[in-house]
Amino acid sequence: MITKQNRLLFFPYFIWVGLFVLVPIGLLIYQSFIGLDGGFTVANFVTYFTSTTYLTMTIQSFIYAFIITLITLCISYPTAYFLTQTKRKDLWMLLLILPTWINVLLKAYAFIGLLSQQGSVNTFFDWIGVGRQQLLFTNASFLLVATYIEIPFMLLPIYNAIEEINPSVVQASRDLGANTWETFRNVIFPLSLSGVRSGIQVVFIPSLSLFMLTRLIGGNRVITLGTAIEQHFLVTQNWGMGSTIGIVLIVLMIIIMAGTAGRKKGVRR
Amino acid sequence: MGDKTIISFKGVHKQYDESMILKNVSFDLEKGKFYTLLGPSGCGKSTILNLIAGFTQVTSGDIVLDGKKVNALPPNKRKVNTVFQDYALFPHMNVYDNVAFGLKIKKLPKDQIKEKVTEALRSVRLTGFEKREIAEMSGGQRQRVAIARALVNEPEILLLDEPLSALDLKLRTEMQYELRELQQRLGITFIFVTHDQEEALAMSDKIFVMKEGEIVQSGTPIDIYDEPLNKYVADFIGESNIVDGKMIKDYKVEFAGKTFDCVDGGMPDDEPVEIVIRPEDFVVTRPALGDLTVIVQSQLFRGVHYEIIGEDPEGNEWMVHTTRKAAVGEEVGLAFEPRDIHIMRVGETETAFNARLAEYAVNNGSSVQEAIDTEKGVELNYDN
Amino acid sequence: MRKPKLTLANLYLIVIFLLLYMPILYLIYYSFNQAGTMNEFTGFTTEHYQSLASDTRLIRIALDTFRVALLSSLLATIIGTLGAIGIFFVRKRSRQQTLLGLNNVLLVSPDVIIGASFLLLFTMAGFRLGFYSVLFSHIAFSIPIVVLMVLPKLQEMNLNMVTAARDLGANNWEVLKSVIIPSIKPGILAGYFMAFTYSIDDFAVTFFVTGNGFATLSVEIYSRARQGINLEINALSTILFVLALGLVSGYYYVQQQQRNRKRKLTDVDPTNHQKAVSP
Repeated sequence: MITKQNRLLFFPYFIWVGLFVLVPIGLLIYQSFIGLDGGFTVANFVTYFTSTTYLTMTIQSFIYAFIITLITLCISYPTAYFLTQTKRKDLWMLLLILPTWINVLLKAYAFIGLLSQQGSVNTFFDWIGVGRQQLLFTNASFLLVATYIEIPFMLLPIYNAIEEINPSVVQASRDLGANTWETFRNVIFPLSLSGVRSGIQVVFIPSLSLFMLTRLIGGNRVITLGTAIEQHFLVTQNWGMGSTIGIVLIVLMIIIMAGTAGRKKGVRR
Repeated sequence: MGDKTIISFKGVHKQYDESMILKNVSFDLEKGKFYTLLGPSGCGKSTILNLIAGFTQVTSGDIVLDGKKVNALPPNKRKVNTVFQDYALFPHMNVYDNVAFGLKIKKLPKDQIKEKVTEALRSVRLTGFEKREIAEMSGGQRQRVAIARALVNEPEILLLDEPLSALDLKLRTEMQYELRELQQRLGITFIFVTHDQEEALAMSDKIFVMKEGEIVQSGTPIDIYDEPLNKYVADFIGESNIVDGKMIKDYKVEFAGKTFDCVDGGMPDDEPVEIVIRPEDFVVTRPALGDLTVIVQSQLFRGVHYEIIGEDPEGNEWMVHTTRKAAVGEEVGLAFEPRDIHIMRVGETETAFNARLAEYAVNNGSSVQEAIDTEKGVELNYDN
Repeated sequence: MRKPKLTLANLYLIVIFLLLYMPILYLIYYSFNQAGTMNEFTGFTTEHYQSLASDTRLIRIALDTFRVALLSSLLATIIGTLGAIGIFFVRKRSRQQTLLGLNNVLLVSPDVIIGASFLLLFTMAGFRLGFYSVLFSHIAFSIPIVVLMVLPKLQEMNLNMVTAARDLGANNWEVLKSVIIPSIKPGILAGYFMAFTYSIDDFAVTFFVTGNGFATLSVEIYSRARQGINLEINALSTILFVLALGLVSGYYYVQQQQRNRKRKLTDVDPTNHQKAVSP
């Protein structure tokens, strides 16, 4: 199929692979070894791994991402499962995914209004007698909004995984004497794990690097790896250190991907 | 119905959205027999299985299982197991865990489970495959795992939904023997669904031929093959020649411009009827000796026999299966016996058909079964 | 069969549904608020829409955003589709896997990494930040999405069609034009659609490579939101929500049409019955 004239057609794609995939990674690695003075050094890495500030930040970022992923999973799995049981599930799914088409910034902005001192949530708290609380710029508000934004991304792969389960396998389980719960535990849940894994991937990794939310909702109290990179690149202009944190983030990402890849049992060997 | 009845349908209707899938289906099935539901896709045969298994509920009518009405009983509470068309094996479990599934759900002790699973795998000749993943098994092996998984629960009824359709021809024939043998050995009621008439004829004690949500005809394979109720059944069960004719009087029928003796009666004189003659019932002879003469239009070699298409002077086409070779354009005679002529009344229902047959048998002083038995000897040697 | 449980499940779904929509509906509701805050609804007004209509800066940014989205998704679709075909026809399995891996790098990378590394790329190459750097970045992160949408359609395609077209005398170009492209068209359209929405939605990558003179809606909303509540943004989100709703229902309608057509085809398909009657 691939002849000389065809190669020309695919040429732009391979240019893209080179210019926008390979070169940027190379540059990031290269830059991480450049010090503030412009010279070649490993100082960035040394600073990173010896400074408690950076290490605490990394661990914190990791914990936040973990909590966000966990809450998202706990909310999304039942949603996905119930969705597959409803009639007109396509329409339901579409409606639940629709909010992702609204710009993330706008959703974050909505929460600024909702959670502010005079906002609706506080009005409600006041009304039930709890009294107004500082909601915006707290860890809890950051977790809340991050979870809200990530839910559809967790929902979709789990929903697809459950939908892909051969309905006759579920029937077979019932036929062999399992009730609804036993069928869920022994058949549906294990078969939907691939969806859970990819859901964790698509939620955990971006959660490590959220920076816009930390600024708008977290009010700089929460600093994630993403916030730190943005800070170094766009505010303090210390690109070397920013790249170093970027490399750390990439390594973390690779570890998570490997951890959630899972052995595909019995599938095409 | 006697105490041997294990399952009955009483006026069952099933409606999906706007369309009627089953229209007033009633039957009684006896313990320990091999039943086949035969019909084209969409005729409602799988729906009957789903109703028995409990995957779906009747719109009206009753299903009685072992003397108890089970209309709303969930599938896990029925002593019925299913072998699915696509086997529906659990892809995340190995062979052993698949077969053990039902027993584990019933919380049987581990050693008992092991014993039963081993025995079930042995009965489907899969000893030593316990640790294999499903993806590593061939189509025929998966099929047997599915059978073992169903049988290990010792069901009273085993439902088989076109389980052989995914297998190649040789394996399919092999499995037909195995299934029949298994059924007879275990004495469980098998309800088998297929659209393949050969499968149905080869394995069943009784066949139900279905069309558009109704049972058109039921009976032993030989009944159905020899006395098809109408054109639909005749066409569905094997290849046949169907021509229009006229009942002159009892035992005299006219078709292809001639009058023949036949063995049917009980119809008004001069009633228009349809005539079925099976291609293998013709004997090819010299034109002078034939009951019909035809000009050979084409001839195909089919392995065990030649398939000849001939045209009679009236313009009817006749398909003939014979071991004698003929030449295209040659005039040959076709000889057949009166009992080879099967007469079908247009639009006759199964009940009316049976009633007429019974009446005719009484009048004639011999039993229907006897008439059929005499035909059997001639025809059973034809089986490809 | 599961009717009694369905009500509880439905209740859960409705709660989730409401939670997901609440912030959006909240924005829309207050976009009509006479008072300039999102706290107390004092009266109905469309003044925020009027001020939005006269905000030339925001309108210019909105138009720029759509320009970038349309252009980048179009180019990404062309490059990505050809790339997918290229990957598909690579003979060696290991090389195909490598190419796929490279394709997916940008899909799994966090936005910040993409943004930072692209910023490095543009600066080192001496490329001025602005419209073109944003456009190129959007093309770059949209290409793998298109590939991801197109590849499954290629895998579904009956390869014998290609052989048949060859056999009937078609050259490579004709095979591509009249066999391959038509049969992967749904994938291409989906890819375009996805690339478009990704481009409209993107904030992080754009934020890094946009420079001073150029902004997209996301970047603009971010800087305005940092300054506090501004009901013009509410009005804008109402409009964007309605647009998204229209787009999605159009997409749903098209899908539904396609499915119905498919179903009709299988209904008419005579092979089933025929096969059953005379095997």
